[in-house]
Amino acid sequence: MTTAEYSQKLDTVVTELKTALQSATSSETVEALKTEYLGKKGSFTLLSKQIKDVDDKKEAGQLLNTTKQTLEDMLATARTTAAKKLAWIDLTMPGKKPEVGHTHPVSQAMEEITHIFEQIGFTRVRYPEVDWDHYVFEALNMPKSHPARDEWETFFVDAPVDNQMGKMVLTTHTSNGQVREMERLNSQPPIRMINIARCYRRQQDATHTQMFHQFEGLVVDKGITIQHLKGTLDYFAEQFYGPGTKSRIRPFHFQFTEPSFEVDFSCQICHGTGYLDDAETQKCRFCKSGWHEVGGAGMVHPNVLKAGGIDPDEYTGFAFGWGIERTYTLKEGLNLDDIRLLYSGDLRFLHQF
Amino acid sequence: MNILIPHTWLKEHLETEADPKTIQKNVSLCGPSVERIYDIEGDNVYDIEVTTNRVDSMSVRGIARETAVILKQFDIKAELKPLTLLEDLQPEVEPLPLPKIINDPELSKRVICVVLQGVKRNPTPEWMAKRLLQTEQNVHDAVIDITNYVTHELGHPCHAFDYDKLMNTGGEINIVEAKSNETFTTLDGNEFTTVGGEVVFKNGEGEIIDLPSIKGTVNTSIDDSTQNVLLLLESITAEKVRFASMTHAIRTTAAQLMEKHVDPELAKTVLLRGVELYRELCEAKIASPIYDDFPGKVEPTPVIVPLHRITDYLGLTIETDRIVSILETLGCTTTVSDEVLTVTPPTFRPDIAIPADVIEEIARIYGYHNLPSTLMDTPIPTTKPSDVDFVLENRIKHFLANIGWQEIYSYSMVSEAIAKQSGYALDGHLALQNPLTDDRIYMRRSLVPSLEEIIAQNAREEHLSVFEIANVYHPLAHQLPSQELMLTMVSTDQYTTVKGALEAVMCQFFVENVKVKPIDGSHLCNSVQCGEVWVGNNLLGSIMVLPTGHTAAELQISQLMKVAQKHPTYHSIPKTAEVREDITLTLPEKTLVGEVIKTLQSSHELITSIELKDVYHQNYTFAITYWQPEENLSSADVEPARKALVEAAEAQYSAQLVGEI
Repeated sequence: MTTAEYSQKLDTVVTELKTALQSATSSETVEALKTEYLGKKGSFTLLSKQIKDVDDKKEAGQLLNTTKQTLEDMLATARTTAAKKLAWIDLTMPGKKPEVGHTHPVSQAMEEITHIFEQIGFTRVRYPEVDWDHYVFEALNMPKSHPARDEWETFFVDAPVDNQMGKMVLTTHTSNGQVREMERLNSQPPIRMINIARCYRRQQDATHTQMFHQFEGLVVDKGITIQHLKGTLDYFAEQFYGPGTKSRIRPFHFQFTEPSFEVDFSCQICHGTGYLDDAETQKCRFCKSGWHEVGGAGMVHPNVLKAGGIDPDEYTGFAFGWGIERTYTLKEGLNLDDIRLLYSGDLRFLHQF
Repeated sequence: MNILIPHTWLKEHLETEADPKTIQKNVSLCGPSVERIYDIEGDNVYDIEVTTNRVDSMSVRGIARETAVILKQFDIKAELKPLTLLEDLQPEVEPLPLPKIINDPELSKRVICVVLQGVKRNPTPEWMAKRLLQTEQNVHDAVIDITNYVTHELGHPCHAFDYDKLMNTGGEINIVEAKSNETFTTLDGNEFTTVGGEVVFKNGEGEIIDLPSIKGTVNTSIDDSTQNVLLLLESITAEKVRFASMTHAIRTTAAQLMEKHVDPELAKTVLLRGVELYRELCEAKIASPIYDDFPGKVEPTPVIVPLHRITDYLGLTIETDRIVSILETLGCTTTVSDEVLTVTPPTFRPDIAIPADVIEEIARIYGYHNLPSTLMDTPIPTTKPSDVDFVLENRIKHFLANIGWQEIYSYSMVSEAIAKQSGYALDGHLALQNPLTDDRIYMRRSLVPSLEEIIAQNAREEHLSVFEIANVYHPLAHQLPSQELMLTMVSTDQYTTVKGALEAVMCQFFVENVKVKPIDGSHLCNSVQCGEVWVGNNLLGSIMVLPTGHTAAELQISQLMKVAQKHPTYHSIPKTAEVREDITLTLPEKTLVGEVIKTLQSSHELITSIELKDVYHQNYTFAITYWQPEENLSSADVEPARKALVEAAEAQYSAQLVGEI
């Protein structure tokens, strides 16, 4: 058979399918036609086997390919057309959401904070929540019965006192991680630690819960200065609260840092001015004075470095730490009037996060 | 602690034109935090937080001194006004004898006093009453109020004794430590019994006549009949003051000051100011010379600071002249030689004891806001802890949340009832010595009861699945408790749903073959049925049906970390086709279907997987997959495998095939 004759036969198949498709109104009919033409015993398939009788096999092969493509395109178009003839759907119907839960807001905050600090080389760690007085106070330059201990409303565990380590307590702050981290690294800086953990204090009201969460940063190396602390705080403020947020440090006192600072972040609403307008007539309701007090920081006290086996003449460092709850609820729209909600397990609250 | 300072009172000690807002802003940046300004009785009153190391700032004059130094740094005119007090006091009347004072220098660094005669019970003048009210102090009459007024103004507590009461019981003051079981009654009428070790004043008969530096006692305090006053200041060792004050919970302003090392040098100034006011307001006459026993006088110790240490902390170099000027305005004396700074702090600054303290003073007055802000350029540590995997924890949280589970944070401390629900005995729990509330006493050993409680509290939710990742605390002898991080899941859904969720969690870490071994007689969480969850040879935790019908699972994160994989093991995609079919078997009651599946799986080599597809009463429908790598299976090939499977089921479990094969 000549190529021309073969070509004609192929064209007949195309025409036949075209006619057949015109009356095909459902997807099922389209699929049936696909089998009729392209299936194992379909007319195109049978015809393709006749290639062995054609003189110019190369040319015939090309014809077969183009024809097959044409048939497939026709079927695809018909399939789309048939689909349009399905029952009408109201596209404004509400979607059916799969049932999903939520991670807890504190988890969300922790994850965000961890991510921010990991990007500048901090390593997240975890240390005991029930710990010895030694790590919680004594090694932090707070000798027994020091008045500074009053600020920590400490829970004591009913357990025997250890001769070296002292009483067993619930950690009142994440600072117990400071000397523990120095010990983990065999007193070998560099240290860039972020410690996030549950903490406990004997207090309970709308802004305090007996259990809460803190995060603590500790950096120790040669040449670490107050400027690095400021840099780290500014970086965190921008990342966590958004561009333009600034940090500020003011004098304070902690036994385990010297100098010690109080840390403020500028208000995201009024940008640290305390007013909502340039004329300073409308006071910002979100903050007291343009700044939010969030926590404490300082240069690691030489006695703390010594307690961790590090030479304070060779190394300096800074530490900072504060509550996750307060840090998180300072974000716009998260101004909780009662932080006890976080630990109430009330689904009406948790479902919003 | 906070102190209230009226602006007009401050201005009596401070020469400045600065307005309250300016003072608030600048002092807060470089010194104590001026938290608020109140309008009380027509005046601005600062509410200032003074840190525990700066008891020298716990007075109007102390704040004035700090403010003067700080304002000058901002180029605002400010000077501390000098105190003009009559120094050389002499008796103005026929002298009255001073009491005999026997001090122990270990207990009191200084005792200073003077007798005042003919003290009139005049009302407190209006100006003083106003200031006392502004600073939230009670107003009585001038004789009493003068002591509170001078304490607030200058920062050293003082006490006015009824001179005649004191002299009538022997006229002796012995400064001693109390023995245990002695009694005293404070001036407000409360009775106390000593524990031993409190520093007290006793008279010649051994009676306690004062709890010095804390509170007066009724037997020597001023009353309506008082005519003569002994104005006395002592300086009891700070630790001793704190001990007695904390032991008896008498937290007076005096105690809170004295336990923080008030400068004993200040005592004389306060005495002189007190005398001035008694003469002016109560027409009192000086009736004795000043008695001043000061065995604890110490010269401040110089602190040596190599100048480069200042740069080490600040990251920049401040000119030496500037350093010296800052320290001297703060009252220090300084010398510089060979790049070493020697600083002698004033007596009222015992907090300046090490180089870092000196650096703090320089830095804060220089202004932290004037220091640049920059990130570290030092090496990033790479030694990570091996016992934690926060990525794994977060993945679990997100996965469970995404498949409908709600994450919970509940308290680590629980009530007696909740503790008991863990199945562990109450005395097998760590308990708090000083719980705050009844519902938070025991450190929990299981999270299940806490989550059950939360499900109960959310009864309006038709069905609820919650989880928490938190520690449980198992007591250990003579060491910290084992603090084991648990993933705990509790759901109102049926067992298989919860187990499926648990298996799906494991699949996230490419862990297959999670096996549950039922265990009899478990008391875990008082469950009605309980099984251990195993992966290979690792016991991960347990899964249980609770008395409420809810299902709970507890997994140790540390065990999960052992079996978790970072990636799957790849199997090449089969080139031959699988054959699938369903087979339904009737199983006798309480047959463990997990065991049946295990048996069926190994009954013939062509069987590659068995899944439980449906259960209707005792009829279990399994989806069976047959496969072999070499060639496609024909129905003749499958037949022996099918037969072997059914025979195994019949033989080992007395199963009956539904239908025919």
